[in-house]
Amino acid sequence: MSGGDPGAPAVEIQGLRFRYPGAGADTLTGVDLRVERGDITAVIGGNGSGKTTLCKTFNGLVPHYWSGSFEGTVRVCGTDTRTASVAALSHLVGYVYQDFGNQLVRPTVRDEVSFAPVNFGLDDHAERTEEAMELLGVAHLADRFTWQLSGGQQHLVALASVLALRPEVVVVDEPVAELDPARAERIYEALTDLNARLGTTVVVIEHHAEFVARYARSVVLMADGAPVWHLPVREALERHDELDRHGIPAPQIAQAVRALVPGAPVPLTVPEAARALAGTPLGGAAPARPAPPPGEAVAELAGVHHGYREVGGGLTPVLRGIDLTLRSGERVALVGGNGAGKSTLLRLLTGLKVPRSGTVRVEGTDTRAVRPADLADRVCHLYQRPEQMFLKDSVREDIAMFPRARGVPDTDRLVDTVLERIRLAGLADRDGRLLSGGQQRRATLGIGLAVRPALLLLDEPTSSLDTASRDAVIAMLDALADTIRCTVVATHDMHLVATWAQRVLVLDGGRVVADTDPAALFADPGLMAAAGLVPPQVVRLGLELGLEPPPLSVAELLGRGPATTGRRAADGRR
Amino acid sequence: MAAAERTRDRRERDTLSVEWVKLELLRTAYATRGGLLASRDPRFVLGWYLVFAVVPWLTHDLTVLTGLFLVCAAAVVLSRVGPLILGLFVFGFVLESGYLLIASWFFGGDLGTVLALAELTLKLATVSLASMAAFVSLDPEKLSDALLALHAPAMVAFGVSYGYRMLPVLMEEFHTVVDGYRLRAAPPPPPGFLGWRAVVRVGTTVVAAFYPLMLNTAKRTRTTVEALETKGFTYAAEHPAGRRIRLAHLRADRWDVLLIAVTVLLVAACFALGRAHPLPVQPG
Repeated sequence: MSGGDPGAPAVEIQGLRFRYPGAGADTLTGVDLRVERGDITAVIGGNGSGKTTLCKTFNGLVPHYWSGSFEGTVRVCGTDTRTASVAALSHLVGYVYQDFGNQLVRPTVRDEVSFAPVNFGLDDHAERTEEAMELLGVAHLADRFTWQLSGGQQHLVALASVLALRPEVVVVDEPVAELDPARAERIYEALTDLNARLGTTVVVIEHHAEFVARYARSVVLMADGAPVWHLPVREALERHDELDRHGIPAPQIAQAVRALVPGAPVPLTVPEAARALAGTPLGGAAPARPAPPPGEAVAELAGVHHGYREVGGGLTPVLRGIDLTLRSGERVALVGGNGAGKSTLLRLLTGLKVPRSGTVRVEGTDTRAVRPADLADRVCHLYQRPEQMFLKDSVREDIAMFPRARGVPDTDRLVDTVLERIRLAGLADRDGRLLSGGQQRRATLGIGLAVRPALLLLDEPTSSLDTASRDAVIAMLDALADTIRCTVVATHDMHLVATWAQRVLVLDGGRVVADTDPAALFADPGLMAAAGLVPPQVVRLGLELGLEPPPLSVAELLGRGPATTGRRAADGRR
Repeated sequence: MAAAERTRDRRERDTLSVEWVKLELLRTAYATRGGLLASRDPRFVLGWYLVFAVVPWLTHDLTVLTGLFLVCAAAVVLSRVGPLILGLFVFGFVLESGYLLIASWFFGGDLGTVLALAELTLKLATVSLASMAAFVSLDPEKLSDALLALHAPAMVAFGVSYGYRMLPVLMEEFHTVVDGYRLRAAPPPPPGFLGWRAVVRVGTTVVAAFYPLMLNTAKRTRTTVEALETKGFTYAAEHPAGRRIRLAHLRADRWDVLLIAVTVLLVAACFALGRAHPLPVQPG
């Protein structure tokens, strides 16, 4: 069953057009594509360019499950997908979804991985299960329940469960969307390893040019339902203008090298970029980053300890003695690995939880002394998953919910102003759940703005956004400073930390291990590793080139270059 | 507000809190406490349960019913049923008994009415105890395999295990949405007589929270259904090989047989006792 025709390419598509039932236009508009066996192909392109639909033709979900109008042929390892069933094709193609958590259907990890081989009645199912778990390093999780796993572990289990059928091709839809970059990197390492060891063809749908540059061998750019081109990765990244036009900005290192050494080959990794820039003098002084004048305290935590009960009955300590003052005018980034206590700290600040010992005060009020609802006009917490914030059936109603319930005069005008600010006035009557990722995030920001809190807490506001929407959200956060006294962002996104934050709190093992600024954080590799963080590319490039403190953005790196050295030197060192 | 700040002093509680209820449900669903029935073959556990689900309805004798009740109560203790489920049961049982007394007093009933109602209560209580003991001992895998082994439709067996898989996720999501309502809806009014306003508020919040929960769940299941298709779920429904492999690990040992034997003996003993000391005393 497995294997197909060994001589045929992994995927061969000719003249493919597809329209979803009831849709007004074709989603795929004439695709001709050939993916060779053993390739690692990245499929890139803007939202709505047909990337996911294209990949769902590989395993026959289109047209067997989504039965629209289908023209042309798709051959996977020589098998025509129209003549084979989805079940048969799943032996050739494994598919890991963007929302991979929903693809796990069984309670335990071992059961999940063995589910497909057992369903197909394969006698070597136990062997395949062990092999797949071994390949991805999740064998030690075999008896855990899938809901106990972290996001990264769930992704590996989802991958293991498709590998148990020993497919020739693995499709992974946007691994970076729901995982932080460090974990996504681990997924990419695992995929590269599979490709090297088993010769598995890997197809990834990816927004981040940085990952494409590092791991892919060839790149398919999709636009309007068809490939624009399919090129080897370096040639693909050379076409930066075209990529920019399709909403895929070049990796930071490529931007830097292009600006400083025009005509040099595009670098794929940080060391490559460092070699390319070796001859360029970059001794210019770092721009001054004046610390904001210390404002008055908005929230104070003193000797805070907290922990959670487990299913087994034990108490897991999460925070072990936090002393902290958040002041007005501050933009605080809260960073640290999973389980470091970021979310718990945010929940304590909302008053939904009270600490087991110590005190949390928000604008002088002890959170123990009042109900969470009494604090809600001073603290607003925006969850990581926007759909959990959509309680009403339109964006407008969701934004109006709080001010209306509290009898704020002129609620309608307030809501209109907020909608204008988040640029969703045109979509105000849509259900929040039906918006795109970036729009959803802006809608939740609108909910926060309408509360007009002193303290705004955001949990991973840029996760699962493509680069353009991410930049839009960061710009919006920048603009909030006038209405909100203090903003705290819990995040893994070091790009956000670099471009937005003024103060960084590093949590590790339930303690604040560093209270610093972004440049100092990135310059401390020990601290970064301990907290499981990966600096942005341009920071790593700066460190590799010996720049101290490292530049936080490409513009800043260029500012230290030959042309502007004199002007910058006048600003003096920090 | 000043008055409220003087009187209010919230603490993190480990029992009788929402977190505790969530943990207790998980402990019950996933059989984390172990116990007498947890290590037995799930088919025999279901068989054991069926005995106590059926037998109480075959008699009117209060001696027999009391005996069965005591056997099930012992099973509940040995199966380490958690305090939440047990507490709910006791609460319901006490309330029901109180209702019995009041009903027979007010509606002019005599001892006969009380006995008839007591009989029904005792039967329901016995079945409830047996359900607790059995289902607290079956984790989702075991329950779904047992159902499959007993030729329940594949969809039912899978649905059970998928329900368990989603339980923690949905509980977490529901809690988050309810918290959202607590913070963003109108501030809580004064509690009123017996806290009736608070009760109404909690009730409306819980109902309103279902709307986002259902929509979010519907969105999730699209991926799940596609994934099931690729994992050969429908294939397995048409080809029996998968079922054979899935059930191959179910193996009864002598302890399972002993369990059923002891159960039958105990039930027989109850009936023997009932014959010796019938209650209510049969005329003639």
